[in-house]
Amino acid sequence: MTNSNQALSTAEKVNQSLQKRYRAEKRFKAYGIGAIAFGLLCLVVLFTDIISKGHSAFFQTYVKLEITFDPVEMGLDDPSDTKQLAMADFDSIIRNALKEQFPEASGRRDRRALYAIVSNGASFTLREQLKDDPALLNQTVSVWMLADDDIDTYVKNREDADGETFAGRISEKQMGWVNTLIENNQIESRFNTTFFSSGDSREPEQAGILGALMGSLLTLFVTILLSFPIGVAAAVYLEEYAPQNKFTDFIEVNINNLAAVPSIIFGLLGLAIFIGFFEMQRSLPLVGGLVLTLMTLPTIIISSRAAIKAVPPSVRDAALGLGASKMQMVLHHVIPLAMPGMLTGAIIGFAQALGETAPLLMIGMVAFVVDIPGAITDPSTALPVQIFLWSDSPERAFVERTSAAIMVLLAVLISMNTLAIWLRRRLERRW
Amino acid sequence: MQAVNTPIQKNEKLNANTNGTDQKKTSTDEMNNSAAKVGKTVGKPFATNPKMTMRNVDVFYGDKQAIHDVSLDIGKNEVVAMIGPSGCGKSTFLRCLNRMNDTIEICQVKGEIKLEEMDVYHPKQDVVPLRARVGIVFQKPNPFPKSIYDNVAYGPRIHGLVERKTDLDEIVEKSLRRASLWEEVKDRLHAPGTGLSGGQQQRLCIARTIAVSPEVILMDEPCSALDPIATAKIEELITELSEKFTIAIVTHSMQQAARVSHRTAYFHMGKLVEVNDTKRVFTNPEHELTEAYITGRFG
Amino acid sequence: MDKKSMERHISHKFDEDLEQIKNMVLKMGGVVEQQIVDAVKAVETADSDLAEKVIRVEDDVDLKEVELDEACTSVLACRQPAASDLRMVLAITKMTRDLERMGDEAQKVAKMAIAMQDSGSKGYEEARHIGALVQKMVNTVLDAFARFDVDQALEVARTDKEVDREYKSAMREIVTYMMEDPRSITRSMNILWTLRAIERIGDHARNIAEHVIFLVKGTDVRHTSLQEIERRIGKA
Repeated sequence: MTNSNQALSTAEKVNQSLQKRYRAEKRFKAYGIGAIAFGLLCLVVLFTDIISKGHSAFFQTYVKLEITFDPVEMGLDDPSDTKQLAMADFDSIIRNALKEQFPEASGRRDRRALYAIVSNGASFTLREQLKDDPALLNQTVSVWMLADDDIDTYVKNREDADGETFAGRISEKQMGWVNTLIENNQIESRFNTTFFSSGDSREPEQAGILGALMGSLLTLFVTILLSFPIGVAAAVYLEEYAPQNKFTDFIEVNINNLAAVPSIIFGLLGLAIFIGFFEMQRSLPLVGGLVLTLMTLPTIIISSRAAIKAVPPSVRDAALGLGASKMQMVLHHVIPLAMPGMLTGAIIGFAQALGETAPLLMIGMVAFVVDIPGAITDPSTALPVQIFLWSDSPERAFVERTSAAIMVLLAVLISMNTLAIWLRRRLERRW
Repeated sequence: MQAVNTPIQKNEKLNANTNGTDQKKTSTDEMNNSAAKVGKTVGKPFATNPKMTMRNVDVFYGDKQAIHDVSLDIGKNEVVAMIGPSGCGKSTFLRCLNRMNDTIEICQVKGEIKLEEMDVYHPKQDVVPLRARVGIVFQKPNPFPKSIYDNVAYGPRIHGLVERKTDLDEIVEKSLRRASLWEEVKDRLHAPGTGLSGGQQQRLCIARTIAVSPEVILMDEPCSALDPIATAKIEELITELSEKFTIAIVTHSMQQAARVSHRTAYFHMGKLVEVNDTKRVFTNPEHELTEAYITGRFG
Repeated sequence: MDKKSMERHISHKFDEDLEQIKNMVLKMGGVVEQQIVDAVKAVETADSDLAEKVIRVEDDVDLKEVELDEACTSVLACRQPAASDLRMVLAITKMTRDLERMGDEAQKVAKMAIAMQDSGSKGYEEARHIGALVQKMVNTVLDAFARFDVDQALEVARTDKEVDREYKSAMREIVTYMMEDPRSITRSMNILWTLRAIERIGDHARNIAEHVIFLVKGTDVRHTSLQEIERRIGKA
């Protein structure tokens, strides 16, 4: 009887505590959801901010003008002569076209304001056009040309949500001319190909990220090529061959410490060794890659060691038991099985390297580089450095370009992580 | 309730098991320490036609001695079972036979282990040819995460046993047939070996081992992760394999030792207590500790 | 590992099972022993009531034999005993058979007692001496089993020799009677049968003694001479 009584009371107690446990469980779950929600919220705010600021950079304002390719004005008689073409004054025919359209601008100041509507890069467009089609000489054609960044900003933002007019840095006269152009359908917003196809520029409307992107990719190429094989080899040696003693312990502690060393220290190291001692040039993707290799190695070694450790010992035993040598065991079994883990770690390291700015500043990859680098020995800059540079510029058009560049960087990072997941899925095997 | 074994029976048993060993001197007081009762190995540790001979083998893990002065022969085409309580050193001893203990840095082996003329622990002896002659099957089925075919072909490939693909096919088929697995897998040789059932995986591991044509096969509790049916198949296989190979098997199942082996060796706390014909060990063991272990009297 | 753990199985139930079987054997042995005592007494005192009792008890013995067989089968099937445990179960199955036969022989003796009483003869003193010897054998062998005592078992084997000798001399005596007085042939034959049954009981007792030796020593000593047995178990 006492037994059944006890059993009953135990069940009751359990039932009572069960409610409490359920509540505790729910709370626990809620904390987790809260944490994730907070993270997501931050991410959404960040993305909204970046996208709302940056999306407009993907469009660029163009102005249509009736251009007369007057050989006298340009000082050119043979369009096929590259020397003449290079020397030709295309700005004057643009000025003429503007003067023709807006004859009311008469004073020096007004004229200058008028001429500022079109980007000073527009003359390059005309030059290219004439070069492609020499028959245009002496003819008058409608040409779409880049608008100046201030005009671009005004066109994009002239009416905000409250219906108030936003002038930006342009004068009222300019505003009037632009409005006339808009009324005449002589102003158009087009997809900004310049942004993706050119290097840096002082003029925001002519600035692009291709140079920085190429610089980043070249740097990353050097980093991948060096750090992955070196990191994997080091990890394999430490895990499979190194004897367990004070020295390997010392190495291990040091590797773990290096992973936490601020990246700028690696920049200083690179500056001292590669540029100071080996006398390499500054601003090279090669040097950047070497520095980032130093920075990424600890991450790759640590993650590769973890992946190698995770290979079940039974597989090693099986290989050794069959009479495989240690190298055969490592090459045939351990590395293939550890590869997904090693790749994941490596790609995280590369993504980190791709977003790294500080060490690159130290080795001079912060330079203003207009040309798009084609090799690892061409001076270049990198995406994050470009973002850093642009974010420092006062022009409003650079603000949106900064955000756009961040979006590009994020896109590259996301695609790298996707690649990591895909590779892991692809290579992962169950055992 | 009174215990089955009265003190008189105890004395009788003591006397019965003493035959020529120092057990006669064992006083009741000393019996409290069972380690003290392990003296010289009793029974028949030596074979007339030995394939492997072990003499005065000591194994140390650092400062700790795991195996004390073990001498044992494994006869040609003989199945020797090694039994004993957990931690008695039987697996350690088995792994000495093809130097699988080499991977453990602090493990040190003294004494002499010979595979016919080959001195297993000679400093100049490479483990690769040794392991090609002495294969091992582990407790947990551990096929490589590769196809069934590649699993079996791995050994012959790394040892360069074949030159042509057709020869390799032949070896794979023969090994799988010998491991009684061919009929079950012949249609899916290129399916992953890890997709097989536990028992099939273990037979695949056996096929992988015999593909190298070793002379001795070591089995370290090969059935402990398997169900009774799969166990029965492996045991049947062991009996068949003993026609061609010499087999040493460590097992926790005394019935298994009784079923498959010719001789049984009983280890206790790193010492080899008794080696005798299996029939003898399971009906009338010489040593009191063996008796206590196989009748289930160890707490 | 202390002494206690060496004596007991890890499985307590296994100990209980073996204990129970052993007790059943001793109980059955007790019943058979009483049967033999009663049967011999019935012959000596020509007590037909006692003889009837012996015959009645036989059913009980048969039942006990079946029960024991079942118990042994279940231990074999469920516990897979090895070494001394295995020998114990094997010895017990054989001993049960011998005990049952002993009961049968006691029954025969009791039947003779009834037959001889019907024929109006008085009790027979001839059976007393050999009967006493055999009773002692049965008692000793059960004791030997209860204590796993090889010395006592050997004692039984030795007594069996004596019983054989007694039986032979009694037989010669009775043959002499029959030759002297052919009228006593019926009576003599009855006595002969009785003596023969008692002697068979002695043989079975010796068998049990051999089983006890097998159980304790692990050596099979069936079909061997006493000297050989003593040599084999190292007692000579």
